Amino acid sequence: MKKIFTKQVREVQDEIARQFSRMVPFLLVWVLGLSPLLSQAQDKAVTGVILSSEDKSALPGVTVVLRSSTVGTTTDADGKYAINVNGNNSVLVFSAVGFVTQEVTVGSRSKVDITMAVDLKTLNELVVVGYGTQKKSQLTGAISSVSAREIGELPVTNARQALQGRAAGVDVNQAGSKPGSAPQIRIRGRRSFNASNDPLFVVDGIPLSGGIDDINPNDIASMEVLKDASSTAIYGSRGANGVVIVTTKRGTAGKTTVSFDTYGGINQSLGRIDVMDGPQFAEYKRESRRAVGNYTNDDALFEPIELESIGLGRSTDYPSTLLRTGSIQSHQVSVSGGTEKTVFNISGNFFKDKGVVKNQDFTRYTFRINLDHKINDKLKVGTSTFAVYGERNGENFNPLGGALSENPLGVPYDADGNLIFLPTQDGLRTNPLSEIVPGAIIDQRKNYRIFNSIYGEWTILKGLKYRFNFGPDFDIDRYGRFFAPETNARRGAPAAGSVANQLRFNYTVENILTYTKQFNQVHNLNVTALQSYQKDDYQTSGINVTGIPATTQQFYNLGSASQVSGVGTALTQWALLSYMARVNYDYKEKYLLTATLRADGSSRFGANNKFGYFPSVAVGWNISSESFLQNARWLDMAKLRMSYGSTGNQAINPYQTQPLLERTSYAWDENAAFGYRPGTIGNPDLRWESSATANAGLDFSFFSGRISGALEYYVTNTTDLLAPQPLPNSTGFSGYTTNIGQTKNSGLEISLSTVNINKGGFRWNTDLMFTRNREEIISLANGKIDDVSAGRFIGEPLSVVFDYKKLGIWQTNEVDEAARFQSKVGEIKIQDFNGDGIINGDDRQILGSAVPNFVAGLTNRFEYKGFDLSFFIYARAGQFITSNFHQGNNSLAGRYNNLDIDYWTPNNPTNEFPRPNVNQESPRYGSTLRYFDGSFLKVRNINIGYNVPTNIAAKLGMTSLRVFSSIQQPFIFSEYRTKYKGIDPEVELDNGNSNGNQGINSDLAPATKIITFGLNARF
Amino acid sequence: MKFKIKSSKVLQTGAIVASLFFGQSCNLAVLDEQVVSGIGNNYLNTTSGFNDGVNAVYSTLREWYGTERGNNFTIFGTDTYQNGADGSHKFINTYDGGLDARSSHVREVWDLLYQGINAANAVIDRSANVTGISDVLKKQRIAEVKFLRAHYYFNLTQIFGGVDLRLTETVAPTKVATRATIPQMYTAIIKDLEESIPDLENRARSGDYGRVTRPAAEHLLARVYLTKATSAAKATDDYAKAETLAKSVINNYGIKLTSDYALVHKEGNEKNEEVIFSVQYTGNPLTNGGGNNSHVFFLMEYDNMPGMQRDIANGRPFKRYKPTLYTLNQVFVNRTDDSRYYKTFKDVYYSNKPGKYNTNYDKSKASITLALGDTSIFDPGYEMPAVERAKRPYQVLTPSMYDERRFPALRKHIDGARADRTQFSGTRDYIAFRLAESYLIMAEAQFKQGKIADAVGAINVVRRRAAWPGKQAAMEITSADLTMNFIMEERERELLGEQMRWFDLNRWGVLVERVKLYNPQAAPNIKDFHTLRPLPQNQLDRVEGGVSAFPQNPGY
Repeated sequence: MKKIFTKQVREVQDEIARQFSRMVPFLLVWVLGLSPLLSQAQDKAVTGVILSSEDKSALPGVTVVLRSSTVGTTTDADGKYAINVNGNNSVLVFSAVGFVTQEVTVGSRSKVDITMAVDLKTLNELVVVGYGTQKKSQLTGAISSVSAREIGELPVTNARQALQGRAAGVDVNQAGSKPGSAPQIRIRGRRSFNASNDPLFVVDGIPLSGGIDDINPNDIASMEVLKDASSTAIYGSRGANGVVIVTTKRGTAGKTTVSFDTYGGINQSLGRIDVMDGPQFAEYKRESRRAVGNYTNDDALFEPIELESIGLGRSTDYPSTLLRTGSIQSHQVSVSGGTEKTVFNISGNFFKDKGVVKNQDFTRYTFRINLDHKINDKLKVGTSTFAVYGERNGENFNPLGGALSENPLGVPYDADGNLIFLPTQDGLRTNPLSEIVPGAIIDQRKNYRIFNSIYGEWTILKGLKYRFNFGPDFDIDRYGRFFAPETNARRGAPAAGSVANQLRFNYTVENILTYTKQFNQVHNLNVTALQSYQKDDYQTSGINVTGIPATTQQFYNLGSASQVSGVGTALTQWALLSYMARVNYDYKEKYLLTATLRADGSSRFGANNKFGYFPSVAVGWNISSESFLQNARWLDMAKLRMSYGSTGNQAINPYQTQPLLERTSYAWDENAAFGYRPGTIGNPDLRWESSATANAGLDFSFFSGRISGALEYYVTNTTDLLAPQPLPNSTGFSGYTTNIGQTKNSGLEISLSTVNINKGGFRWNTDLMFTRNREEIISLANGKIDDVSAGRFIGEPLSVVFDYKKLGIWQTNEVDEAARFQSKVGEIKIQDFNGDGIINGDDRQILGSAVPNFVAGLTNRFEYKGFDLSFFIYARAGQFITSNFHQGNNSLAGRYNNLDIDYWTPNNPTNEFPRPNVNQESPRYGSTLRYFDGSFLKVRNINIGYNVPTNIAAKLGMTSLRVFSSIQQPFIFSEYRTKYKGIDPEVELDNGNSNGNQGINSDLAPATKIITFGLNARF
Repeated sequence: MKFKIKSSKVLQTGAIVASLFFGQSCNLAVLDEQVVSGIGNNYLNTTSGFNDGVNAVYSTLREWYGTERGNNFTIFGTDTYQNGADGSHKFINTYDGGLDARSSHVREVWDLLYQGINAANAVIDRSANVTGISDVLKKQRIAEVKFLRAHYYFNLTQIFGGVDLRLTETVAPTKVATRATIPQMYTAIIKDLEESIPDLENRARSGDYGRVTRPAAEHLLARVYLTKATSAAKATDDYAKAETLAKSVINNYGIKLTSDYALVHKEGNEKNEEVIFSVQYTGNPLTNGGGNNSHVFFLMEYDNMPGMQRDIANGRPFKRYKPTLYTLNQVFVNRTDDSRYYKTFKDVYYSNKPGKYNTNYDKSKASITLALGDTSIFDPGYEMPAVERAKRPYQVLTPSMYDERRFPALRKHIDGARADRTQFSGTRDYIAFRLAESYLIMAEAQFKQGKIADAVGAINVVRRRAAWPGKQAAMEITSADLTMNFIMEERERELLGEQMRWFDLNRWGVLVERVKLYNPQAAPNIKDFHTLRPLPQNQLDRVEGGVSAFPQNPGY
């Protein structure tokens, strides 16, 4: 919660204070030395000391600015400052986070000492809300914030990662470590079957269409997660899955600051999937034949190279040949500053993540300009613009699965050191090393994006403002792939290549009127009215060819290929037209009311259902402002909030209201005979999916901020779910999109921050985040009746694991019983769930769900004399995971290499895994071998930092210097990892829109431990 | 003051820009959806839309002929083929319960054929309003579509029994569906075919090669009557009608048997004089769809053998279908007069990976040394003695060495015209109806009517063509030879691996009996109810009223 933000800012400030106390002499020299240069226009020197009203201690880091000028300074460690002013009428403005800002006219004084009042009860800091900001004390909605500091602590590629474990109610999951891949976010669970469950991202006021993944995390000043209907209703149509508002850093008037932030480090795989070595493989292959009475001797079973390896005790470890130690680096230069009229923030960043799997890397260059200019007292304009160029290699380059399956008795190189393309006689198993021959496989995405948020603001009258926002977003994406003949994809066939281009232009235009007025000094009113229009135009084109003449051409001359195997272009457009009004009212900041109404018209719905109306209302009560608590010194703040409202979801593909044709191909002899036939049946009645959320929250702060936090409880009912409703296929259609059923999410969120010790320069504070969300299907297409074919069950989460239950392995003394179930000894024993004596579809049962029981995050920070140490623990418990390689790399057929598992033999009567059998593609009921409890506890990162004493920094020409080191994900504690040879149980909750359980597969780049070193320098 | 003027200009400009956007966005028409890269449904009412609709109905043929599902449903679980080593659909062969209502093949066949049926319904329903096309041509096109709709329903009926008989386009979402009776199915199928015959082109081949012409419809209708004759819809004149139709196909269009049996399925000779109707596949991936996949299923694992590696000409061996001993030892027992064993099965593989190798199955010698193009594997089709094998510089694969990986591979579908050795989408037309079958249909219809001599005559036409040179007379049979059993075997000698056997066995009512006799993998499991496949669970779940409204076939 926002409280955390405040405290952290204060911590930073304290830190600075301690540093300053050690560098006073240097600072004075520096200030005195420089000030003549800076102050040629001024004529009078003023000095002073600033103390805190709380304990009369000196306040370092207070900003002192000469009003209506660019002249400014900050106080040193002893709270002292010196500034030149131009006359007795000069006004000095003193400000510091957490304190009440003061303005003092200098008069004839040359020494101005002041005492600053602690700004605890008023909690004046602003929180970014939809279409504006609000004082925290006046908030009525459920909002979680993550600050720049927390984002900066993790060397993350992607802003989404920074939310993991930091914001209550936000479930962030990343599977594996593939460079450039983005984690999945679910806010307060899932509610929709088909429509997207992704939250809406709003960057500098503009709702994104193309994803947040291009944003450079170092540019972010704060992220606010809007969770309840009261906060999200203002985004109406798209608020149902929560809203993440990203605000980028802007300049402040005063001295120009140049910052250099850099870090670099290494990635190491946290493990690899354990498959059999040569001797184990040989024995397993023999056993697969013994199982069918087919094993005579090795000579008959093995091919020459295998026999040679068996004789030599030789074994090839293919997976290891594909792995390496990766690296990560980020370098950023920012310049920020400005005058009272114009402020700016410019930054440039280079980021590179070289993955632990060869040929996988991601490079990104970003450039940002944030600029605000006051034309006069009434008019203001500004822009935030960023440009990004990203290059990602290996997005779909997944060689690990093949390497895990490769026969370890083969050898990759011949006597001359040349790669052997087919190391064994198995025609499907090409040499995994041929995949990483330079130039053999190219899988490259290039992304160019220019995103703008441009505004003009006109103060029409006092309290009445008009703002115009324009947000054009250009996104160009080129994805090229190439496969040389000697790769597994081609297996000797001519080279193949493809190029896919995506061109998106999205723009948002908004007209916003706000009116703020206080009546009789007790009634505060704020009214916001909005009209907005967003349009999205998305074009794709692509070509696939085979028979590229020279491998050096890669995918850059597809026209020269002998065969075109696919060509396509497409255009998708949608538009959204919205009107919104919001009223915020409070009485003495004690009783708060927020009411919102938004109307959204979406092009995606039927002619009569284009518009959806989303109202919400919220009330808040600042209990601590009541007179009977005025004297309760232990209580800083307590506020009770209640909200109820509805939000919508339109996130289905466009054109679903219309019956469309689909193309078919046929030929008359060799002449093309393309055709068209009914493809979709369309649903002109399609309408908005809507979610009604009731939220109750309590914000609190005790003992001068020693304990603070928030509690939230909510219930969300989603109705008119946009879902693919199946039709009997004999109609010619498999289904259509319609509005059916109801789901419910309810949950509890706890955010708690404590300052455990703050004594003698030592400070220890803790932030705890806990989330529990329960997903539940209330009704489906046919009311309260399970839809078994879609795997949806009333009262269960949106997706569950529904399968047979493995009891063990049929043992030698169970021959007859096994036979009754058409099974044999050594095969998987399945529970006869309904006890009817046969195993069929009716014996499947709900085994578990990917939805965790709870998610928790715990951050501990220790600070002492310029040193700081923090570590962040993240836990997710009770979720079921589907480990696909426990099925895919576990076929136990004696052909491909297999997981090194405890399989059954007559001499090894285990109940873990069945007996290898050459006559099977995969074990019967093999799908039951892949389900595991995915609970885990991770030490997500450990950070150590040191703020170099300013005197030393100054010698280096810096105003401040911080050096730090971090270890990301040093430890994972999980049964899946320790007992079942998995690497990392963290996996995305679902498969994007389809809600299927997202599995862990062998191709996933393994999870990594990342060790980085870096520094932040300010000049 | 100066500044104020300036700012009001800025303000004016800003207001104009804002009102432009505001004005634009206030117009509710911005929310109208315009389909640009897709095509709206009304296109089917236009002249070119009508033609494209007809083409689309044809494309469904490719969902059955030459696909894995089309093959698995007709080749597996019969008396002539059992499963080889690989593949995840062995349960279709073994009848061990794996083929249930949730199986992918069942669902796919159902869904895909019904897509074709709905497309056919759409074309027929809308044709009345289509202009810009001559009445003759329009009638001809509708006749083609009716043939196709009848074909799809005939397949569904043979696979599932009575199904949801829909003869009009689905224009609004509905969950109402019922199962028609077998007689209702045949009435609809026969009506479509009878209506189509007079309007179809009266010649063997259309100018657009691959379009349905009159003999194709007559051939199919003959097959329909032959099948109906043993169904719940049987009528006394079914065989007579089948005979008449088959006779018309044989006599009226100049279609004739190829001179040599080997020419029927010779690669590159798909457009031969015997073809009545073939499903079109091409060498161009843009028009070939999923391609003809039959080339992979019938092949043995030659590519792991000493001296061999996978290449285009020998094919990509999936080793799915292994001929039963019954096929090898009884159906194709006569190899001295009848050339069809050798012309059906591949007997030799030439080395494409020369070198010295240890032998692995023919242990009559310890090793072999092969040059490029040397014989590497020879399958003589009989148990060549070790002494004889030892003289040969290659490995000899004899019947006692056959297993699920090594067995006689069917030549008929091998496709060396694919672009590379992994290409799954084959290029060869799938010959669905050919004249030899017309003779066999006629013979069977005549036999059932007691016209034994006529039947013998028809069969002998087919047998004479199959003879080794000079053995024509020896191939001829007499009335005394002709039994139903003989017809059953003769059909397979001629038509092995051509997506018909499972239907044939069901037509004769001998599926269970013959599978128990000749298919050892399936024998312990097959039950009477296996003469129909399970209806897909999806259909049952989705129909309003569930299984009570749309009952599952018994046994599933």
